[in-house]
Formats: sequence, structure tokens, C-alpha cells
Amino acid sequence: MDKHKRYESTVIINASLDDPQVEAIITRISETITKNGGSITALDKWGRKRLAYPINKKTNGYYVNYEFTAPSALIATLERSYQLDEMILRYLTILLDAKAIAAKAAAPVVVPAAEEPVVPAREPLFKESDDAGK
Amino acid sequence: MFNSPRKPRREKEGQMPRKKRTCRFCDAKEHYIDYKDEKKLQRFITEQGKIIPKRITGTCAKHQRQLVSAIKRARHLALLPFVSDAIR
Repeated sequence: MDKHKRYESTVIINASLDDPQVEAIITRISETITKNGGSITALDKWGRKRLAYPINKKTNGYYVNYEFTAPSALIATLERSYQLDEMILRYLTILLDAKAIAAKAAAPVVVPAAEEPVVPAREPLFKESDDAGK
Repeated sequence: MFNSPRKPRREKEGQMPRKKRTCRFCDAKEHYIDYKDEKKLQRFITEQGKIIPKRITGTCAKHQRQLVSAIKRARHLALLPFVSDAIR
């Protein structure tokens, strides 16, 4: 019996592609999920972002985040399709546990993405006592 | 008993700056640390990109473990660097 579990998959696509090409890849991944028995609950496109380190000598990537429910057999085929596609640079698929699901249900996670291309300079925690609550 | 550096000291601290004893995540009742939220995670790595130990940040052990795996996932997705040059 295939139990549907909740997963989250983040994919980095080659940023030097045109927008229609990127869209084509995104829809192709969505179709791979839905055709094999999954259903997408959320699709979040972060847009082009600067990578913290070069991947395959590229400094920018197009981030896409999928949240979906699927039978567990789908994940192997999904990741295999990521591997085979040359335009996908990195991927990360995780199984959402109860805490994650509760956190998502409580407040939708909004990740501001494409506005800032550079990793901003941050205050060093060693030098000053940073107690301005967070 | 050996004087473990992990125990909060009541006497003079030495050169380590005194940090809050309470865990940030416990206070905010956050049970899930999201690897996608790099702004929040950046407070827990040094300028060189190294993860800051919990005795400095005051995080509790449970949240430190979640934090570390979130940081490692973020590093895999190039949201955080593995190594970055310290500003000289």
C-alpha cells in the first residue's frame, strides 16, 4: 500500500537559460511529480540568486522549491530525472517530519529571494555581544 | 571535577564575551529551523563560514543539532558558503 508522504524539493537550475526554457524545466518537473502519483501543494520560484560558491563554474542559479505529497517510490525516479538533466545544477529533496509540517501550517514561510544578489555582510558575533533579540 | 568551559561561569569570564544563557529558539517556541532561511542562519556562522558553537550563542543542544543540519543543507544548496574569506 503506497502511503503518501509530504516532501519538499529544492532545485537549482542553470541561470543563464532564457525564462521560457527555465519555465519548461519547471513544468517538466511538475509533470514528473503529478504523472507518477504525486500532487504538488506548493510551487515557489525564488528566481535568480547569487550562489555562495561557484557550482560548475557558475555564480548564479535559478532556485525553485516544490512542496508535494507523493508515494515514496516517486522520489527515486524524481531524483534520477534531476541527475539526468544537465541544466539542473543541484537538488535537495527532504521528507517533511511532523515539526516541519506544523511549522508550515502555522505560518507560511516567505523567503525573500531575487531582490538581493549578494550575500550581505553580517555582524561578527564574536566582536560584539549581539543580544538584540531575534 | 574539571572546570568544563561549557558550564556558564559565575565568576569573571575572561576574554569570552558573556552571551545570553537562554536558547533563542526555545524562547521563540520555534521547533523547526528552516534551511531555506539563510538570513536567520547567517547569525550562527562566523565570517569565515564556520558554525559557531552553542556555548557562544547560548543555543540548547536540541536546537543546535537542528541548526547544524539546517546549515549543512543550506551549504549544499549554496545559500551559505562552506568557506568564505574573512574580511581583513
